[in-house]
Amino acid sequence: MAAKGRHWVALWLVAFLAVAWLVIARQTAAIRAARELATLREERAALSGRSADLERRIRAAESRTVLLPLARRHLGLRVPADTEIILLTAPGAAPR
Amino acid sequence: MARFAVRVQVVEAVMAAGLAVLIARAAQVELIEGGRWSTEARVQRTEQIVLAARRGALVDRHGRPLARTIETYHVGVAPNELHDVERDGALIARQLHLRAEDVTQALARRYAYFAGPFSALEVQALRGMRGVHLEPVVNRFYPEPDLALAVIGRVGDDGHGASGLERALDSLLTGRPGSAVVLKDRAGREYESPARVVREPVAGADVVLTLDAELQEIAQRALDDAVLRTHATGGDVVMLDPATDEVLAIASRRRDGSVRPSAFIDTFEPGSVAKIFAAAALLERDLVTPDERVSGEGGRYRIGHRTIVDEDPQPSLTLSDAIRVSSNIAIAKFSERLSPADQYAALRAFGFGTQTGIEFPAEAGGKLRLPKEWSRPSGASLAMGYEFAVTPIQIAAAYAALANDGILLQPSLVQQVVGPDGTTLYRHRPEPVRRAVTPAVAEALREMLRGVVERGTGTEAALAHFSLGAKTGTARRVVRGRYAPGRYTASFAALFPADRPQIVLVVKIDDPRNGSYFAAQTAAPVTRSMLEQALAARDVAIDRTRLSTAAIRSPAAEAGEDAGVVPYVVAWPYRPDSAAPRAVRVVPNVRGRDVREAVHTLHQRGFRVTLKGWGVAERTSPAAGDSAAAGSVVTLFAGQKQ
Repeated sequence: MAAKGRHWVALWLVAFLAVAWLVIARQTAAIRAARELATLREERAALSGRSADLERRIRAAESRTVLLPLARRHLGLRVPADTEIILLTAPGAAPR
Repeated sequence: MARFAVRVQVVEAVMAAGLAVLIARAAQVELIEGGRWSTEARVQRTEQIVLAARRGALVDRHGRPLARTIETYHVGVAPNELHDVERDGALIARQLHLRAEDVTQALARRYAYFAGPFSALEVQALRGMRGVHLEPVVNRFYPEPDLALAVIGRVGDDGHGASGLERALDSLLTGRPGSAVVLKDRAGREYESPARVVREPVAGADVVLTLDAELQEIAQRALDDAVLRTHATGGDVVMLDPATDEVLAIASRRRDGSVRPSAFIDTFEPGSVAKIFAAAALLERDLVTPDERVSGEGGRYRIGHRTIVDEDPQPSLTLSDAIRVSSNIAIAKFSERLSPADQYAALRAFGFGTQTGIEFPAEAGGKLRLPKEWSRPSGASLAMGYEFAVTPIQIAAAYAALANDGILLQPSLVQQVVGPDGTTLYRHRPEPVRRAVTPAVAEALREMLRGVVERGTGTEAALAHFSLGAKTGTARRVVRGRYAPGRYTASFAALFPADRPQIVLVVKIDDPRNGSYFAAQTAAPVTRSMLEQALAARDVAIDRTRLSTAAIRSPAAEAGEDAGVVPYVVAWPYRPDSAAPRAVRVVPNVRGRDVREAVHTLHQRGFRVTLKGWGVAERTSPAAGDSAAAGSVVTLFAGQKQ
């Protein structure tokens, strides 16, 4: 049974719709992925900024300028004199 | 009828002509101008954007970040797009830490732009706010902004290194920016669609510096204290690992708070710290025997029109005594045995009068005049450390040569370069420059330096359980071309420990005004303080295995002195930090040989070869007879056969 003219038209129409749907679906997925990617980038940048800020604050807090006076004042600690430093020699340790 | 036919023909002809014009125009647009129109359409509909490449990080030798790249933002605001200009303006001012009045004033314009740059944290609350446009821009971040500021340098507004190592290493740190294409509508706005990446950005290489952040902090703090305490105009501290000449710490400070790399660029007359090089020249040429003595001349000695004075006159002195008590008269008298050419050659051998070659964008070579320009007392002046100018890094490298059995190495600030894919692009190897003195002479000189700390002018730096070799230097300062009364440069160069030294320290205090100006009372205690702090620190670049065995042998420990009450337990097993030096070999003489044969000879000796020219070998760099580490590059210069 040979396909009539209107069948061919319907077939072409379906094919066109299928291709159009495929294109739109791909575009939509791509835009969604791009949006998610942008959000993730923003989050990463925010976390990186927070990490940098924390790192700066930690370094400042543990610097000798800050830490030594605090340790001296609150804990009574001080940098030992060389007479108070004893290096232990591990058994069998050979000098390089 | 005939007239009708004619009319039809005319209409047909006109239509045919019109059609022909249309086809011709279409052909012109499509076939001839097609490329141009296509480009114009693409330009209107697309935009090529630059994808910034991450600038490589700078880290210290233990991996502690010193400089890295983070994303920051410029903020643009279109006031007509804001929901509520007053309320949103207040939020913007609060988030960006700007004055409310400034923001209100800026929002009165058509478009407000806040350059910042602002951190991701600051702009977080502004994301998604209508009318606010964030422009990401990569920026340099220094976790400890004051740490080694002069050495690390800064990045300029163009994103490239403007000073210091940021500038010297710019080509390594700067990556290759990528590009992408985005779609635009007729109004020029970007469509919300994925960008088509044309070229991925390539991040810059990360650079591991030789600096030890903890030692650097110790050096900076000690120098700050010393400059404040002595009311000095400034100062410098350099710490080197003599086995590799890697710079562990380098600090510079001016009293006015300005920061500049004076350890590389400011020269000074070294004074008595340079006496050891006159002694090196004398010993190297067998011009002095250990027991030989010269008269102390009662503390005053005349050469030509100049009178040399000793602060602590001695009846007679050996060369060791001259170094130990820093006798100007004795070293001047001994140096009379040196010819100007020998004295000049000895100072050149230790690297004076030329740049060290360290990877820093600016370095002074110092000043060392040719013997033909010397006057009669120049030999004595040079032996006492006058009439030539050096930088602190040159002094440190020269003392490192004494610690390194006489081999002068090229100091370095870069330990390793790691590519963005993690591969090692470069690893620092000790680069021998030349042999300055024989190992036996170097050992004798180290003994002299030990005597300075044990019984001489450097006792203020002495440590009870660890030996130290050092030399003090208090030199008059030149102001407007003349030696200014009462103005001095106090310097102290030390090898720690004296046996198999691990650290070379140079401390220089410029023009100390408060209390004593002598190096023994100004620079020596700074050295001691730094060493105590370094010993007490956990992760500094000191090989405690070697140190502990050396400490057991030290005379103080054998004498059973009070060893202290607070034991300091080291982590075990300890991983030595400094790289083991490779075997050092002598560069063979290949002059006159065919290049093929010359290259073969150099390869057999364990060197890598870079060939310049072709034909017959003429010379090598390092020169024949010089020492170089096995595996290092020897440049072979060749010329055509005559």
